[in-house]
Amino acid sequence: MNGFDIAGWGMAVPERVVTSTELATRFGVDEHWITSRCGIHERRAVGPGQTTASLAVEAGRRALEKAGLDGGDIAHLIVATATPEQPSPATSAFVHHELGIAGSAHDVNSECAGFVYGLVQAMGLIKIDPRPILLIGSDTHTLTANPADRDLSILVGDGAGAVVLTPAAEDRVLAWNLGADGSCTGSLKVLAGGSRMPTTEQTVRDGLHYAQINGNEIYLNAVRYTVRTVRETLTQAKVEAADVRHVIPHQANIRIINSILSHTGLRPEALVANLHKYGNTASASIPIALTEALEEGRIQRGDLVLLAGFGAGMTWGSILLEWGGDTAAAASAATAATTSGGTS
Amino acid sequence: MSLPTIEELASRLEAVSGAAKVDPDHPLQHIPDVDSLDLMEWLYGFQNAYPDIPADESLFADIDDTTTLRVVYDRILALVPAQS
Repeated sequence: MNGFDIAGWGMAVPERVVTSTELATRFGVDEHWITSRCGIHERRAVGPGQTTASLAVEAGRRALEKAGLDGGDIAHLIVATATPEQPSPATSAFVHHELGIAGSAHDVNSECAGFVYGLVQAMGLIKIDPRPILLIGSDTHTLTANPADRDLSILVGDGAGAVVLTPAAEDRVLAWNLGADGSCTGSLKVLAGGSRMPTTEQTVRDGLHYAQINGNEIYLNAVRYTVRTVRETLTQAKVEAADVRHVIPHQANIRIINSILSHTGLRPEALVANLHKYGNTASASIPIALTEALEEGRIQRGDLVLLAGFGAGMTWGSILLEWGGDTAAAASAATAATTSGGTS
Repeated sequence: MSLPTIEELASRLEAVSGAAKVDPDHPLQHIPDVDSLDLMEWLYGFQNAYPDIPADESLFADIDDTTTLRVVYDRILALVPAQS
C-alpha cells in the first residue's frame, strides 16, 4: 500500500441563509456592488447550538457513511479549522468524541489553506500507517466577522466538508506543493485572544476579537501565491494546465478565482465553483465543492483533479490527483444523506 | 529598462476592469467599472511585467477621490531604480 483513495465525502452547512440582498440593506449598498465584488449571492450562517465542531461532526458522519465505515475504523482524525470550538482543547477532540473515533486526533490551522495542508499530512500518514483517515475542514467565520464590517461580512459563510481516505495500492497523487509567507500576517488577522494580546474587557470593547481584513493585500497575495503553487504542482507533475479536468480552488472570491485561471491557463470549464451560494467557508470550501462535484457525478475515475487553496498568513498549497475509486456507486448511495436533516 | 507609457498603463487597466475608457487624469474612484480589486489585478500584471520596479499595494494605500492614474504613474517613476 503506497497510496489512498477518497472513499467517502460529505458536507454540512447551516440552514440559515444570509442573502446579499439582506446585506445590501444592512450596509446601505447596492446588491450588485456585493455580487460584482465577490460573486457571492448568499451564504450560510450558524444558528443557536451550531458550532465548528457540530458542523464537522455532521460532515464527518456523512463521509463515514459514504465510505461504509464508522468512527471505530478511523486511525487518524484531522480537523482543519481557523475558528476552533474553543481555545483549548482542539476542535478535533470534540469531533473525536462525537464520532467515536478509535485513533488519534489533531487540528490543522493553516487558515483557508487548511484542507490542502491537512490532505498532504494525511497523504504522509497513510504511507507510514495504511489505515483509514478522516479529514474534515470546518469553519464558522460568521462568528469572527464584526457584524459592522461590510468588507468581511459579504464574504464569509459557515460550513464543513469531509473526506475519508482509505489505503490503496496505487499512489494517485501526481504532485503537490505547500508554501507560506509569514511576512503577510497583517493582511487578515484576529488580534486578541492569544498570547500576544490576551482577551480583556478593553480588547472586547475595541472589537479586537473580530477578524480584520486588508482586502487589497489579500487579493494580491492570493493571486500571486496560488498562481505560483499551481504552476509548481503542474510542472512537477509534467501536466499541462489545459489537461486538468477539474479545478477546485478555495472559494474565496470569484474575482480571485478568475484571475488565477487567467494567469495559469487552467480552463474555465474545469472550474468547480459554488461560492455564489455558500460564500467563503474557509477550510471547508474545498471539501464542500469537492463533495458537490462528486454528488453531481462530475468527477469520474481517471480524471485529473486539482485542489488549490490559500489562506491568511499567508499559506497556500495545491495537490494534483488522478481520481480513483468508484465514484458513481458511492455518489448514488448517499445523495440523500447530504441534503437531509437539520443542515443541507 | 523600458518603462511603459501612462497610456499603456491606462490601456491595461481598461483590459483588466472592462472599463470603456480610463482617462489618466480622471480620479480613479470615479471611473465606472474600476474598483480596488481591478487596481490589484492591474498591479499584479505590472509586477510581473516589470519585476525590477518594487511597486506594491502601497501605491494605492492613501488613494482618495482625487487620485488619478497619473499620480500613481508618478509614484511608479519614483520607484524606478537609478541606472548605474
